[in-house]
Amino acid sequence: MLLKVDGITKAFGGVKAVQGASFDVKEGSITALIGPNGAGKTTAFNLVSGFMRPDEGTIQFDGRRTERLSGHTVARHGLVRVFQTARVFTQMTVLENLLIAARHQPGEKFGAAWLMPGRTSRREREIRREAEERLALVRLTHLTHERAGALSGGQRKLLELARALMVQPKMILLDEPMAGVAPVLGEQLMEHIKELREKAGITVLIIEHDIDLVMSISDRVIVMDEGRVIADGPPDAIQANERVITAYLGRNAGAAA
Amino acid sequence: MDIFNPVFWIFVATTGGIYTIMALGLYVQFSLAGLPNFGHVAFMAVAAYAMAILVARYGLPLPVGILGGLVAAVILAILVGVPALRLRADYLAIATVAGGEIVRYLAMNLQGLTGGPIGSIGLLGPGKIATFNGSWQVFMGDIAFYLKPIFGKYGRPDTAMAIVVWVFAFAAILVLWRMERSPWGRVMQGIREDDTAVAAIGKNVVGFKMQALIIGALLGAVSGMLLALQIGVFSPDDYQPTITFYAYLIIILGGMNRIWSVPVGAILFTLLYTGTRFLNVYPLTLFDSGERAYLRLFLVGLLLVLFLAFRPQGIFGDRRQILEK
Repeated sequence: MLLKVDGITKAFGGVKAVQGASFDVKEGSITALIGPNGAGKTTAFNLVSGFMRPDEGTIQFDGRRTERLSGHTVARHGLVRVFQTARVFTQMTVLENLLIAARHQPGEKFGAAWLMPGRTSRREREIRREAEERLALVRLTHLTHERAGALSGGQRKLLELARALMVQPKMILLDEPMAGVAPVLGEQLMEHIKELREKAGITVLIIEHDIDLVMSISDRVIVMDEGRVIADGPPDAIQANERVITAYLGRNAGAAA
Repeated sequence: MDIFNPVFWIFVATTGGIYTIMALGLYVQFSLAGLPNFGHVAFMAVAAYAMAILVARYGLPLPVGILGGLVAAVILAILVGVPALRLRADYLAIATVAGGEIVRYLAMNLQGLTGGPIGSIGLLGPGKIATFNGSWQVFMGDIAFYLKPIFGKYGRPDTAMAIVVWVFAFAAILVLWRMERSPWGRVMQGIREDDTAVAAIGKNVVGFKMQALIIGALLGAVSGMLLALQIGVFSPDDYQPTITFYAYLIIILGGMNRIWSVPVGAILFTLLYTGTRFLNVYPLTLFDSGERAYLRLFLVGLLLVLFLAFRPQGIFGDRRQILEK
Protein backbone atom coordinates (compact mmCIF):
# COMPACT_ATOMS: atom_id res chain seq x y z
CA MET A 1 0.00 0.00 0.00
CA LEU A 2 1.33 3.41 -0.97
CA LEU A 3 -1.07 5.35 1.25
CA LYS A 4 -2.60 4.07 4.49
CA VAL A 5 -5.08 6.28 6.30
CA ASP A 6 -6.17 5.02 9.70
CA GLY A 7 -8.94 6.50 11.82
CA ILE A 8 -8.43 10.17 10.96
CA THR A 9 -10.69 12.71 12.60
CA LYS A 10 -11.07 16.44 12.02
CA ALA A 11 -13.55 18.76 13.67
CA PHE A 12 -14.12 22.45 12.94
CA GLY A 13 -15.63 23.82 16.13
CA GLY A 14 -18.63 21.56 16.70
CA VAL A 15 -18.77 20.22 13.15
CA LYS A 16 -17.05 16.88 12.70
CA ALA A 17 -16.06 16.94 9.05
CA VAL A 18 -14.15 13.67 9.18
CA GLN A 19 -14.82 11.20 11.97
CA GLY A 20 -12.62 8.17 11.99
CA ALA A 21 -12.09 7.58 8.28
CA SER A 22 -9.79 4.72 7.25
CA PHE A 23 -8.77 3.70 3.73
CA ASP A 24 -5.80 2.50 1.71
CA VAL A 25 -4.59 3.30 -1.78
CA LYS A 26 -2.66 0.65 -3.66
CA GLU A 27 0.45 1.64 -5.57
CA GLY A 28 -0.20 2.15 -9.28
CA SER A 29 -3.97 2.30 -8.94
CA ILE A 30 -6.56 4.88 -9.85
CA THR A 31 -8.76 5.13 -6.78
CA ALA A 32 -11.88 7.28 -6.64
CA LEU A 33 -13.17 8.95 -3.51
CA ILE A 34 -16.88 9.66 -3.82
CA GLY A 35 -19.73 10.65 -1.56
CA PRO A 36 -22.54 13.19 -1.25
CA ASN A 37 -21.81 16.87 -0.59
CA GLY A 38 -20.52 17.41 2.92
CA ALA A 39 -19.28 13.83 3.24
CA GLY A 40 -15.81 15.07 4.16
CA LYS A 41 -13.95 14.23 0.96
CA THR A 42 -12.14 17.53 0.52
CA THR A 43 -11.27 17.65 4.22
CA ALA A 44 -9.86 14.14 3.89
CA PHE A 45 -7.74 15.44 1.00
CA ASN A 46 -6.53 18.37 3.07
CA LEU A 47 -5.53 15.99 5.86
CA VAL A 48 -3.77 13.52 3.58
CA SER A 49 -1.86 16.25 1.75
CA GLY A 50 -0.67 17.87 4.99
CA PHE A 51 -2.62 21.11 4.50
CA MET A 52 -4.53 20.34 7.70
CA ARG A 53 -3.57 18.33 10.73
CA PRO A 54 -5.87 15.53 11.87
CA ASP A 55 -7.13 15.69 15.46
CA GLU A 56 -6.66 11.93 15.68
CA GLY A 57 -5.49 9.07 13.51
CA THR A 58 -2.44 8.27 11.46
CA ILE A 59 -1.46 8.66 7.82
CA GLN A 60 1.33 6.68 6.24
CA PHE A 61 2.65 7.51 2.79
CA ASP A 62 5.37 5.48 1.10
CA GLY A 63 6.38 3.96 4.44
CA ARG A 64 6.54 7.30 6.27
CA ARG A 65 4.22 8.72 8.88
CA THR A 66 3.02 12.05 7.48
CA GLU A 67 0.12 13.23 9.65
CA ARG A 68 2.33 15.75 11.48
CA LEU A 69 4.17 17.01 8.41
CA SER A 70 3.37 20.29 6.68
CA GLY A 71 1.97 20.46 3.16
CA HIS A 72 5.21 21.31 1.41
CA THR A 73 7.07 18.43 3.09
CA VAL A 74 4.39 15.94 2.09
CA ALA A 75 4.63 17.27 -1.48
CA ARG A 76 8.40 16.75 -1.41
CA HIS A 77 7.91 13.16 -0.33
CA GLY A 78 5.97 12.67 -3.55
CA LEU A 79 2.32 13.22 -2.64
CA VAL A 80 1.13 16.21 -4.65
CA ARG A 81 -2.35 17.67 -4.72
CA VAL A 82 -4.25 19.54 -7.40
CA PHE A 83 -6.91 21.95 -6.21
CA GLN A 84 -10.61 21.97 -6.94
CA THR A 85 -10.46 25.42 -8.50
CA ALA A 86 -7.18 25.59 -10.40
CA ARG A 87 -4.60 27.69 -8.57
CA VAL A 88 -2.24 28.75 -11.32
CA PHE A 89 0.00 31.80 -10.96
CA THR A 90 -1.95 34.19 -13.15
CA GLN A 91 0.77 36.85 -13.43
CA MET A 92 3.35 34.36 -14.65
CA THR A 93 3.59 32.88 -18.10
CA VAL A 94 2.45 29.32 -18.69
CA LEU A 95 6.09 28.24 -18.90
CA GLU A 96 7.04 29.99 -15.64
CA ASN A 97 4.17 28.20 -13.93
CA LEU A 98 5.98 24.95 -14.65
CA LEU A 99 9.52 26.19 -14.02
CA ILE A 100 8.67 27.28 -10.48
CA ALA A 101 7.46 23.78 -9.60
CA ALA A 102 10.68 21.96 -10.54
CA ARG A 103 12.69 20.37 -7.77
CA HIS A 104 16.38 20.66 -6.95
CA GLN A 105 16.95 24.13 -8.39
CA PRO A 106 19.93 25.38 -6.36
CA GLY A 107 19.08 28.89 -7.60
CA GLU A 108 16.16 28.97 -5.18
CA LYS A 109 18.56 29.47 -2.30
CA PHE A 110 19.09 33.08 -1.32
CA GLY A 111 22.13 34.58 -3.00
CA ALA A 112 22.57 31.66 -5.38
CA ALA A 113 22.06 33.89 -8.42
CA TRP A 114 25.33 35.58 -7.39
CA LEU A 115 27.20 32.76 -5.72
CA MET A 116 26.56 29.87 -8.10
CA PRO A 117 25.27 31.28 -11.38
CA GLY A 118 26.68 28.34 -13.37
CA ARG A 119 24.86 25.59 -11.49
CA THR A 120 21.68 27.66 -11.43
CA SER A 121 21.54 28.26 -15.17
CA ARG A 122 22.57 24.67 -15.99
CA ARG A 123 19.70 23.33 -13.90
CA GLU A 124 17.42 26.00 -15.37
CA ARG A 125 18.09 24.65 -18.87
CA GLU A 126 17.22 21.09 -17.77
CA ILE A 127 14.05 22.31 -16.09
CA ARG A 128 13.07 24.26 -19.17
CA ARG A 129 13.42 21.22 -21.40
CA GLU A 130 11.32 19.17 -19.01
CA ALA A 131 8.67 21.91 -18.83
CA GLU A 132 8.46 22.12 -22.61
CA GLU A 133 7.92 18.37 -22.82
CA ARG A 134 5.13 18.55 -20.25
CA LEU A 135 3.49 21.41 -22.11
CA ALA A 136 3.57 19.41 -25.33
CA LEU A 137 1.98 16.50 -23.49
CA VAL A 138 -1.00 18.55 -22.29
CA ARG A 139 -1.09 20.35 -25.67
CA LEU A 140 -0.48 23.83 -24.33
CA THR A 141 2.71 24.50 -26.29
CA HIS A 142 1.05 27.24 -28.33
CA LEU A 143 0.43 29.13 -25.06
CA THR A 144 3.97 28.76 -23.66
CA HIS A 145 4.61 32.49 -23.30
CA GLU A 146 1.03 33.53 -22.63
CA ARG A 147 0.17 34.83 -19.18
CA ALA A 148 -1.60 32.05 -17.26
CA GLY A 149 -4.30 34.55 -16.29
CA ALA A 150 -5.46 34.54 -19.91
CA LEU A 151 -6.19 30.79 -19.92
CA SER A 152 -9.67 29.26 -19.77
CA GLY A 153 -10.76 27.24 -16.76
CA GLY A 154 -10.08 23.94 -18.50
CA GLN A 155 -6.66 25.04 -19.74
CA ARG A 156 -5.79 26.14 -16.21
CA LYS A 157 -6.62 22.65 -14.95
CA LEU A 158 -4.37 21.10 -17.58
CA LEU A 159 -1.64 23.55 -16.61
CA GLU A 160 -2.02 22.75 -12.94
CA LEU A 161 -1.83 19.04 -13.67
CA ALA A 162 1.36 19.60 -15.67
CA ARG A 163 2.74 21.74 -12.84
CA ALA A 164 2.02 19.00 -10.30
CA LEU A 165 3.93 16.54 -12.49
CA MET A 166 6.98 18.83 -12.46
CA VAL A 167 7.30 17.96 -8.75
CA GLN A 168 7.79 14.32 -9.86
CA PRO A 169 5.14 12.83 -7.61
CA LYS A 170 4.62 9.17 -6.76
CA MET A 171 0.98 9.91 -6.13
CA ILE A 172 -1.32 12.69 -7.14
CA LEU A 173 -4.53 13.90 -5.49
CA LEU A 174 -7.12 15.35 -7.84
CA ASP A 175 -10.07 17.24 -6.35
CA GLU A 176 -12.91 17.25 -8.88
CA PRO A 177 -10.74 17.71 -11.95
CA MET A 178 -13.76 17.78 -14.27
CA ALA A 179 -15.69 20.51 -12.47
CA GLY A 180 -16.08 23.55 -14.71
CA VAL A 181 -14.17 22.06 -17.62
CA ALA A 182 -15.53 22.12 -21.17
CA PRO A 183 -16.38 18.57 -22.38
CA VAL A 184 -13.64 18.42 -25.02
CA LEU A 185 -10.93 19.43 -22.56
CA GLY A 186 -12.51 17.13 -19.99
CA GLU A 187 -11.98 14.12 -22.23
CA GLN A 188 -8.40 15.17 -22.81
CA LEU A 189 -7.89 15.58 -19.06
CA MET A 190 -9.29 12.10 -18.44
CA GLU A 191 -6.90 10.62 -20.98
CA HIS A 192 -4.00 12.31 -19.25
CA ILE A 193 -5.04 10.88 -15.93
CA LYS A 194 -5.10 7.37 -17.38
CA GLU A 195 -1.73 7.94 -19.00
CA LEU A 196 -0.26 9.04 -15.70
CA ARG A 197 -0.71 5.58 -14.34
CA GLU A 198 0.08 3.66 -17.50
CA LYS A 199 3.17 5.54 -18.66
CA ALA A 200 4.59 7.17 -15.53
CA GLY A 201 3.33 4.69 -12.95
CA ILE A 202 1.84 7.45 -10.86
CA THR A 203 -0.86 6.49 -8.37
CA VAL A 204 -4.01 8.61 -8.57
CA LEU A 205 -6.58 9.40 -5.91
CA ILE A 206 -9.47 11.33 -7.37
CA ILE A 207 -12.57 13.02 -5.99
CA GLU A 208 -15.24 13.10 -8.66
CA HIS A 209 -19.00 13.53 -8.82
CA ASP A 210 -19.63 12.11 -12.28
CA ILE A 211 -20.45 8.51 -11.38
CA ASP A 212 -20.20 7.16 -14.93
CA LEU A 213 -16.76 8.61 -15.25
CA VAL A 214 -15.67 7.27 -11.88
CA MET A 215 -16.86 3.79 -12.78
CA SER A 216 -15.09 3.87 -16.13
CA ILE A 217 -11.61 4.89 -15.01
CA SER A 218 -11.11 3.72 -11.45
CA ASP A 219 -9.86 0.39 -10.18
CA ARG A 220 -11.32 0.97 -6.78
CA VAL A 221 -13.92 3.22 -5.26
CA ILE A 222 -14.03 4.52 -1.70
CA VAL A 223 -17.34 5.96 -0.56
CA MET A 224 -17.57 8.50 2.25
CA ASP A 225 -20.67 9.72 4.04
CA GLU A 226 -20.89 11.94 7.11
CA GLY A 227 -17.17 11.83 7.68
CA ARG A 228 -16.82 8.06 7.56
CA VAL A 229 -15.90 5.51 4.92
CA ILE A 230 -19.05 3.49 4.29
CA ALA A 231 -17.91 1.33 1.40
CA ASP A 232 -14.71 0.37 -0.34
CA GLY A 233 -14.32 -1.95 -3.29
CA PRO A 234 -14.25 -2.42 -7.06
CA PRO A 235 -16.67 -0.22 -9.08
CA ASP A 236 -19.25 -2.96 -9.81
CA ALA A 237 -19.56 -3.95 -6.18
CA ILE A 238 -19.94 -0.30 -5.14
CA GLN A 239 -22.73 0.31 -7.64
CA ALA A 240 -24.72 -2.54 -6.11
CA ASN A 241 -23.94 -1.59 -2.48
CA GLU A 242 -27.09 -0.74 -0.57
CA ARG A 243 -25.46 1.62 1.89
CA VAL A 244 -24.07 3.62 -1.00
CA ILE A 245 -27.44 3.87 -2.68
CA THR A 246 -28.95 4.99 0.60
CA ALA A 247 -26.30 7.62 1.12
CA TYR A 248 -26.81 9.02 -2.37
CA LEU A 249 -30.56 8.84 -2.64
CA GLY A 250 -31.42 9.69 0.94
CA ARG A 251 -32.49 7.43 3.75
CA ASN A 252 -36.18 7.34 2.94
CA ALA A 253 -35.66 6.49 -0.69
CA GLY A 254 -33.23 3.79 0.37
CA ALA A 255 -35.73 2.32 2.81
CA ALA A 256 -38.49 2.44 0.20
CA ALA A 257 -36.27 0.66 -2.28
CA MET B 1 18.38 77.50 3.61
CA ASP B 2 17.33 78.62 0.20
CA ILE B 3 16.52 76.54 -2.78
CA PHE B 4 19.64 77.55 -4.73
CA ASN B 5 22.07 76.47 -2.05
CA PRO B 6 23.91 73.26 -3.04
CA VAL B 7 24.11 72.29 0.62
CA PHE B 8 20.35 71.93 0.58
CA TRP B 9 20.55 69.63 -2.43
CA ILE B 10 23.25 67.53 -0.79
CA PHE B 11 20.88 67.16 2.13
CA VAL B 12 18.05 66.14 -0.21
CA ALA B 13 20.31 63.62 -1.93
CA THR B 14 21.43 62.03 1.34
CA THR B 15 17.92 61.84 2.73
CA GLY B 16 16.61 60.48 -0.59
CA GLY B 17 19.29 57.80 -0.55
CA ILE B 18 18.48 56.78 3.01
CA TYR B 19 14.78 56.65 2.14
CA THR B 20 15.68 54.53 -0.89
CA ILE B 21 17.35 51.96 1.37
CA MET B 22 14.40 52.08 3.78
CA ALA B 23 11.89 51.57 0.94
CA LEU B 24 14.00 48.78 -0.58
CA GLY B 25 13.50 46.83 2.64
CA LEU B 26 9.77 47.22 2.30
CA TYR B 27 10.05 46.41 -1.41
CA VAL B 28 11.52 42.99 -0.61
CA GLN B 29 8.84 42.26 1.95
CA PHE B 30 5.77 43.78 0.34
CA SER B 31 6.38 44.01 -3.41
CA LEU B 32 8.40 40.83 -3.73
CA ALA B 33 6.99 38.43 -1.14
CA GLY B 34 3.61 40.08 -0.57
CA LEU B 35 4.15 40.54 3.17
CA PRO B 36 2.20 43.55 4.44
CA ASN B 37 4.66 44.98 6.96
CA PHE B 38 3.11 47.99 8.66
CA GLY B 39 5.83 48.28 11.28
CA HIS B 40 8.88 48.79 9.08
CA VAL B 41 9.93 51.73 11.25
CA ALA B 42 10.52 49.32 14.15
CA PHE B 43 13.50 47.76 12.36
CA MET B 44 14.97 51.23 11.86
CA ALA B 45 14.39 52.19 15.48
CA VAL B 46 15.73 48.97 16.99
CA ALA B 47 18.90 49.14 14.93
CA ALA B 48 19.53 52.83 15.65
CA TYR B 49 19.02 52.28 19.37
CA ALA B 50 21.15 49.14 19.52
CA MET B 51 23.97 50.95 17.72
CA ALA B 52 23.77 54.10 19.83
CA ILE B 53 23.54 52.17 23.10
CA LEU B 54 26.54 49.96 22.29
CA VAL B 55 28.64 52.96 21.28
CA ALA B 56 27.57 55.63 23.76
CA ARG B 57 26.92 53.51 26.84
CA TYR B 58 29.35 50.69 26.45
CA GLY B 59 32.07 52.57 24.59
CA LEU B 60 32.33 49.96 21.85
CA PRO B 61 33.69 50.95 18.45
CA LEU B 62 31.15 52.05 15.86
CA PRO B 63 31.52 48.99 13.57
CA VAL B 64 30.56 46.80 16.53
CA GLY B 65 27.61 49.09 17.17
CA ILE B 66 26.49 48.78 13.53
CA LEU B 67 26.81 45.00 13.70
CA GLY B 68 24.77 45.07 16.91
CA GLY B 69 22.12 47.14 15.14
CA LEU B 70 21.85 44.59 12.34
CA VAL B 71 21.62 41.69 14.80
CA ALA B 72 18.92 43.48 16.78
CA ALA B 73 16.83 43.98 13.63
CA VAL B 74 17.16 40.30 12.68
CA ILE B 75 16.09 39.24 16.17
CA LEU B 76 13.05 41.50 15.93
CA ALA B 77 12.19 40.06 12.50
CA ILE B 78 12.33 36.53 13.92
CA LEU B 79 10.26 37.51 16.97
CA VAL B 80 7.55 38.96 14.74
CA GLY B 81 7.84 36.38 11.97
CA VAL B 82 7.77 33.11 13.87
CA PRO B 83 4.27 33.54 15.24
CA ALA B 84 2.82 35.70 12.44
CA LEU B 85 4.17 34.19 9.21
CA ARG B 86 2.23 30.97 9.64
CA LEU B 87 -0.99 32.92 9.70
CA ARG B 88 -2.78 34.79 6.94
CA ALA B 89 -1.27 38.02 5.65
CA ASP B 90 -3.71 40.22 7.56
CA TYR B 91 -2.39 38.88 10.85
CA LEU B 92 1.13 39.85 9.88
CA ALA B 93 -0.15 43.36 9.19
CA ILE B 94 -1.60 43.55 12.69
CA ALA B 95 1.46 42.00 14.34
CA THR B 96 3.83 44.43 12.62
CA VAL B 97 1.77 47.50 13.54
CA ALA B 98 1.79 46.29 17.14
CA GLY B 99 5.50 45.42 17.00
CA GLY B 100 6.36 48.90 15.76
CA GLU B 101 4.44 50.59 18.53
CA ILE B 102 5.83 48.25 21.19
CA VAL B 103 9.36 49.18 20.14
CA ARG B 104 8.59 52.89 20.28
CA TYR B 105 6.91 52.71 23.66
CA LEU B 106 9.74 50.61 25.06
CA ALA B 107 12.23 53.20 23.82
CA MET B 108 10.14 55.89 25.47
CA ASN B 109 9.79 54.13 28.81
CA LEU B 110 12.95 52.08 29.38
CA GLN B 111 14.73 55.25 30.43
CA GLY B 112 17.63 53.45 32.02
CA LEU B 113 18.52 51.81 28.72
CA THR B 114 17.36 54.19 26.00
CA GLY B 115 17.44 57.64 27.53
CA GLY B 116 13.62 57.77 27.42
CA PRO B 117 11.67 60.53 25.69
CA ILE B 118 14.66 62.86 25.30
CA GLY B 119 16.32 60.22 23.14
CA SER B 120 19.93 59.43 22.39
CA ILE B 121 21.29 62.54 24.16
CA GLY B 122 20.13 61.04 27.44
CA LEU B 123 21.85 57.70 26.98
CA LEU B 124 24.39 58.43 29.70
CA GLY B 125 21.78 59.57 32.18
CA PRO B 126 20.92 63.06 33.38
CA GLY B 127 23.55 65.77 33.25
CA LYS B 128 25.67 64.16 30.55
CA ILE B 129 25.33 64.55 26.82
CA ALA B 130 25.82 61.30 24.99
CA THR B 131 27.05 61.09 21.41
CA PHE B 132 27.50 58.04 19.22
CA ASN B 133 28.44 59.35 15.81
CA GLY B 134 31.84 60.86 16.52
CA SER B 135 33.85 58.24 14.68
CA TRP B 136 31.38 58.31 11.79
CA GLN B 137 32.00 62.04 11.38
CA VAL B 138 35.74 61.46 11.45
CA PHE B 139 35.27 58.79 8.78
CA MET B 140 33.20 61.16 6.61
CA GLY B 141 35.82 63.84 7.14
CA ASP B 142 38.50 61.45 5.88
CA ILE B 143 36.50 60.71 2.75
CA ALA B 144 35.82 64.42 2.29
CA PHE B 145 39.56 65.02 2.23
CA TYR B 146 39.83 62.91 -0.90
CA LEU B 147 36.75 64.59 -2.39
CA LYS B 148 38.28 68.07 -2.12
CA PRO B 149 40.16 67.88 -5.44
CA ILE B 150 36.98 66.89 -7.27
CA PHE B 151 34.27 68.88 -5.49
CA GLY B 152 36.29 71.89 -4.32
CA LYS B 153 34.59 73.69 -1.48
CA TYR B 154 31.76 71.16 -1.55
CA GLY B 155 34.11 68.29 -0.76
CA ARG B 156 32.56 68.28 2.68
CA PRO B 157 31.59 65.51 5.12
CA ASP B 158 27.94 65.77 4.10
CA THR B 159 28.91 65.21 0.44
CA ALA B 160 30.85 62.15 1.57
CA MET B 161 27.76 60.94 3.42
CA ALA B 162 25.60 61.37 0.31
CA ILE B 163 28.07 59.33 -1.72
CA VAL B 164 28.35 56.55 0.87
CA VAL B 165 24.57 56.33 1.10
CA TRP B 166 24.05 56.13 -2.66
CA VAL B 167 26.85 53.62 -3.20
CA PHE B 168 25.15 51.36 -0.68
CA ALA B 169 21.70 52.00 -2.16
CA PHE B 170 22.79 51.16 -5.70
CA ALA B 171 24.69 48.08 -4.57
CA ALA B 172 21.56 46.86 -2.77
CA ILE B 173 19.38 47.55 -5.82
CA LEU B 174 21.80 45.70 -8.08
CA VAL B 175 21.97 42.65 -5.81
CA LEU B 176 18.20 42.50 -5.39
CA TRP B 177 17.52 43.20 -9.06
CA ARG B 178 19.41 40.08 -10.06
CA MET B 179 17.95 38.03 -7.20
CA GLU B 180 14.48 39.02 -8.33
CA ARG B 181 15.14 37.53 -11.77
CA SER B 182 16.56 34.31 -10.39
CA PRO B 183 14.65 31.14 -9.42
CA TRP B 184 14.61 32.56 -5.89
CA GLY B 185 12.66 35.58 -7.13
CA ARG B 186 10.32 33.29 -9.05
CA VAL B 187 9.37 31.48 -5.85
CA MET B 188 8.85 34.86 -4.16
CA GLN B 189 6.54 35.94 -6.97
CA GLY B 190 4.62 32.69 -6.58
CA ILE B 191 4.24 33.31 -2.86
CA ARG B 192 2.99 36.82 -3.54
CA GLU B 193 0.34 35.44 -5.87
CA ASP B 194 -0.78 32.29 -4.06
CA ASP B 195 1.22 30.89 -1.18
CA THR B 196 -0.98 27.79 -0.84
CA ALA B 197 -0.19 26.81 -4.42
CA VAL B 198 3.53 27.30 -3.72
CA ALA B 199 3.31 25.01 -0.69
CA ALA B 200 1.48 22.44 -2.83
CA ILE B 201 4.48 22.20 -5.15
CA GLY B 202 6.79 21.46 -2.25
CA LYS B 203 8.35 24.84 -1.40
CA ASN B 204 8.86 25.89 2.20
CA VAL B 205 6.70 29.00 2.11
CA VAL B 206 7.32 30.03 5.71
CA GLY B 207 11.06 29.75 5.15
CA PHE B 208 10.95 31.97 2.07
CA LYS B 209 8.76 34.52 3.83
CA MET B 210 11.19 34.58 6.75
CA GLN B 211 14.04 35.28 4.33
CA ALA B 212 12.13 38.22 2.86
CA LEU B 213 11.25 39.53 6.29
CA ILE B 214 14.87 39.37 7.45
CA ILE B 215 16.35 40.93 4.30
CA GLY B 216 13.80 43.72 4.59
CA ALA B 217 14.64 44.13 8.27
CA LEU B 218 18.36 44.40 7.48
CA LEU B 219 17.77 47.11 4.88
CA GLY B 220 15.46 48.89 7.30
CA ALA B 221 18.17 48.64 9.94
CA VAL B 222 20.80 50.16 7.64
CA SER B 223 18.52 53.06 6.78
CA GLY B 224 17.64 53.60 10.44
CA MET B 225 21.29 53.69 11.45
CA LEU B 226 22.26 55.99 8.57
CA LEU B 227 19.47 58.39 9.50
CA ALA B 228 20.70 58.39 13.12
CA LEU B 229 24.30 58.92 12.03
CA GLN B 230 23.32 61.74 9.69
CA ILE B 231 21.42 63.69 12.31
CA GLY B 232 23.51 62.68 15.33
CA VAL B 233 20.64 62.72 17.80
CA PHE B 234 17.32 60.92 17.76
CA SER B 235 14.41 60.23 20.04
CA PRO B 236 11.45 57.85 20.03
CA ASP B 237 9.45 60.57 18.27
CA ASP B 238 11.61 60.12 15.18
CA TYR B 239 10.19 56.62 14.78
CA GLN B 240 6.48 57.39 14.51
CA PRO B 241 4.35 54.91 12.52
CA THR B 242 4.07 57.55 9.76
CA ILE B 243 7.64 56.68 8.68
CA THR B 244 6.40 53.26 7.57
CA PHE B 245 3.81 54.96 5.39
CA TYR B 246 6.47 57.15 3.83
CA ALA B 247 8.07 53.91 2.70
CA TYR B 248 4.73 52.75 1.25
CA LEU B 249 4.26 56.06 -0.53
CA ILE B 250 7.73 55.76 -2.06
CA ILE B 251 6.96 52.29 -3.40
CA ILE B 252 3.55 53.34 -4.69
CA LEU B 253 4.87 56.57 -6.24
CA GLY B 254 7.48 54.77 -8.27
CA GLY B 255 5.49 51.72 -9.22
CA MET B 256 4.79 48.79 -6.97
CA ASN B 257 6.72 46.06 -8.74
CA ARG B 258 9.65 47.88 -10.27
CA ILE B 259 12.83 47.90 -8.24
CA TRP B 260 14.46 50.70 -10.26
CA SER B 261 11.53 52.94 -9.51
CA VAL B 262 12.27 52.80 -5.78
CA PRO B 263 15.07 55.44 -5.89
CA VAL B 264 12.91 57.61 -8.17
CA GLY B 265 10.02 57.37 -5.74
CA ALA B 266 12.35 58.11 -2.85
CA ILE B 267 13.78 61.24 -4.49
CA LEU B 268 10.31 62.49 -5.45
CA PHE B 269 9.12 61.90 -1.94
CA THR B 270 12.12 63.68 -0.41
CA LEU B 271 11.62 66.67 -2.71
CA LEU B 272 7.97 66.78 -1.80
CA TYR B 273 8.69 66.42 1.87
CA THR B 274 11.58 68.84 2.22
CA GLY B 275 10.15 71.05 -0.52
CA THR B 276 7.04 71.91 1.43
CA ARG B 277 9.17 74.25 3.52
CA PHE B 278 9.45 76.47 0.47
CA LEU B 279 5.70 76.88 0.30
CA ASN B 280 6.08 80.34 1.81
CA VAL B 281 3.95 82.09 -0.78
CA TYR B 282 0.59 83.77 -0.39
CA PRO B 283 -1.99 82.46 0.58
CA LEU B 284 -0.06 79.78 2.47
CA THR B 285 1.75 82.53 4.38
CA LEU B 286 -1.53 83.06 6.20
CA PHE B 287 -0.48 80.01 8.22
CA ASP B 288 2.58 80.33 10.36
CA SER B 289 5.59 78.13 9.57
CA GLY B 290 4.77 75.65 12.31
CA GLU B 291 1.35 75.06 10.84
CA ARG B 292 2.78 74.83 7.37
CA ALA B 293 5.00 72.00 8.55
CA TYR B 294 1.87 69.96 8.99
CA LEU B 295 0.89 70.62 5.38
CA ARG B 296 3.46 68.09 4.30
CA LEU B 297 1.65 65.38 6.22
CA PHE B 298 -1.59 66.35 4.48
CA LEU B 299 0.22 66.26 1.17
CA VAL B 300 1.66 62.82 1.85
CA GLY B 301 -1.77 61.46 2.71
CA LEU B 302 -3.45 63.16 -0.22
CA LEU B 303 -0.88 61.85 -2.67
CA LEU B 304 -1.18 58.32 -1.34
CA VAL B 305 -4.95 58.42 -1.85
CA LEU B 306 -4.76 60.07 -5.28
CA PHE B 307 -2.18 57.61 -6.55
CA LEU B 308 -4.10 54.58 -5.33
CA ALA B 309 -7.30 55.95 -6.86
CA PHE B 310 -6.02 57.08 -10.25
CA ARG B 311 -2.68 55.45 -10.88
CA PRO B 312 -2.34 52.37 -8.66
CA GLN B 313 0.54 51.13 -10.79
CA GLY B 314 2.65 54.17 -9.88
CA ILE B 315 4.67 56.22 -12.31
CA PHE B 316 6.38 53.33 -14.08
CA GLY B 317 4.30 50.31 -13.12
CA ASP B 318 2.18 48.11 -15.33
CA ARG B 319 -1.49 48.68 -14.60
CA ARG B 320 -2.49 45.17 -15.63
CA GLN B 321 -0.27 43.65 -12.97
CA ILE B 322 -2.18 45.45 -10.25
CA LEU B 323 -5.72 45.09 -11.52
CA GLU B 324 -6.01 41.78 -13.33
CA LYS B 325 -6.54 38.57 -11.52
